[in-house]
Amino acid sequence: MVEKLGIPTVSIIGSGFVKQAQVVIKGLGVPLAVGVYPGAPMVDSDAELAAKVEKNLAPELVAGLTRDLARPAAPARADSEPARGQIVFSGNFDEVQDYFHEQLWSDGLPVVPPTRERVHAFLEYTDRSADDVFLIAPPEGREASIYSIAVNGVMAGCRPEYMPVLIAIVEAMCDPNFRLEDAGSTPGWEPMVVVSGTIIKELNLNYGQGVMRAGRQANTSIGRFMRMYLRNVCGYRIPPGAGDKGSIGQNFIVALAEDEDSAAQLGWSTFGEDCGFAQGENAVTVQSVVCISPPLYSAGDTALGHVQQFTDILSRVFAYGCYSGIKRGFWTPLIIVGPGIAQVIAREWSKDKVKTYLWENMTIPASLMKHFCWQTAATTIDFSKLVEEGTLPERYAASDDPDRPIPMIVQPDHIGLVVAGDPERNQSRGYMSNNTQGSRTSRRVVLPKRWPELLARHKSH
Amino acid sequence: MSNSPLEPHYDVVWPLGRKAATGAVAAPRVADLNGKVICELWDEIFRGESIYPLVRKHITERYPGAKFIPHTEFGDFFGPRDRAVLATIPDKLRAHRVDAAIVGIGA
Repeated sequence: MVEKLGIPTVSIIGSGFVKQAQVVIKGLGVPLAVGVYPGAPMVDSDAELAAKVEKNLAPELVAGLTRDLARPAAPARADSEPARGQIVFSGNFDEVQDYFHEQLWSDGLPVVPPTRERVHAFLEYTDRSADDVFLIAPPEGREASIYSIAVNGVMAGCRPEYMPVLIAIVEAMCDPNFRLEDAGSTPGWEPMVVVSGTIIKELNLNYGQGVMRAGRQANTSIGRFMRMYLRNVCGYRIPPGAGDKGSIGQNFIVALAEDEDSAAQLGWSTFGEDCGFAQGENAVTVQSVVCISPPLYSAGDTALGHVQQFTDILSRVFAYGCYSGIKRGFWTPLIIVGPGIAQVIAREWSKDKVKTYLWENMTIPASLMKHFCWQTAATTIDFSKLVEEGTLPERYAASDDPDRPIPMIVQPDHIGLVVAGDPERNQSRGYMSNNTQGSRTSRRVVLPKRWPELLARHKSH
Repeated sequence: MSNSPLEPHYDVVWPLGRKAATGAVAAPRVADLNGKVICELWDEIFRGESIYPLVRKHITERYPGAKFIPHTEFGDFFGPRDRAVLATIPDKLRAHRVDAAIVGIGA
């Protein structure tokens, strides 16, 4: 941004981020000078840090401001790249796999060969033009188009009729609220989608026992699609690629579908309704997941007993990571509540009461949160300042006691409750977002005008 | 791996999207930092409170006439109000008549 204003700029980066910087440089098409700090400053002594700045970093910063950049800007179009829909390879199944692996166009599992015929079958399930573009997606600066959704949907093993859901997912991820530009950050978060509405049953999504296990085609392939799209179209690749700086990372998360029948029987709103949609309306909600709780087993026949168990477990599991959300005033825990558990709770408590209880009772000592903050990024968290600027509610600056309990969740309505899972077992599970990165974002699923006809055709196959 | 001639062949399409970058030219560099205004932009992580003063010292020793605008003038561009902070930076750069910028820290 600054360089485009005509002001020479140099960026400070750790040596582990040089490849990511190169991806960004190519994606933006803007030359970028960098000064490299060898290693990570968070683990160096003061003396080591001073020596590295003096010997390595500072001279490179001076050079970056004073010497002409050798690296030319990226061309307006990569003319050497294939056109949309161009055949790039012909071969048998194994040869296609090898080629896609070599090109870094695969997630490591076999892909379904994206032939024109297969891609065309996906495009039949949308009334949008194949050339419609949602965003110039970071970090590689490529068009996130309807066509690219179809190709990667094929590769991920989706069925053509999933296409409206895939489009809504990409549209949500391209919303500025989602912060797609942060999808390659070191925590290695994954996008998770919640599918709502009548399309759950039409696509045969699992919302019962084993809901988050790979095995049902719709849940699994839609989850796989999200990671593949981030990798192929956005450019978030692990070595030997670059762009994805997830230090350890995690596997893709299968799509979650809500047990809307159970929610309705309980008198609870569905998650889709909580996100602003009508009951039964088809929608997707995507958010980041950086941490998954162990199974939350809870027992008893009172609402308090179960919600207290959620509180006791989640306030320990999420204790470490919540500081980064608190620092930005926003993060979104999501709890899959087993239908049997939800039944007990709903006899006494509304969804709002559950959220309010968790918000009031999930706390962490302020000193421990500051400690976690320092351990991660060598920085602190100033609650008074965050309250003063309106990022946090007054509650966070109510006391100067360093060990005072700090609410782990900023607002009750940041909590998502989804009824799903095994109706015959007392188990739930919690999911933690990575602060504002991958913020919870919803989109309506738009069906093609011929949906009934197309769906009938798919059912007859 | 099977090489049977009976096995079907697949003509496969490109799975990526078109690159849309519009190439840009780097801003002219500043040969001599003496008398120039250098701004510091910091995301308030990864020990910038220690690194920036050391960088400032290094530059000042070589370019005694360099003037620095500290990061506090611009705010945390990675914090809760990051987009609002970023939106104000161009005007602040102009107001301070900034000649060069150091941005960090990505680690």
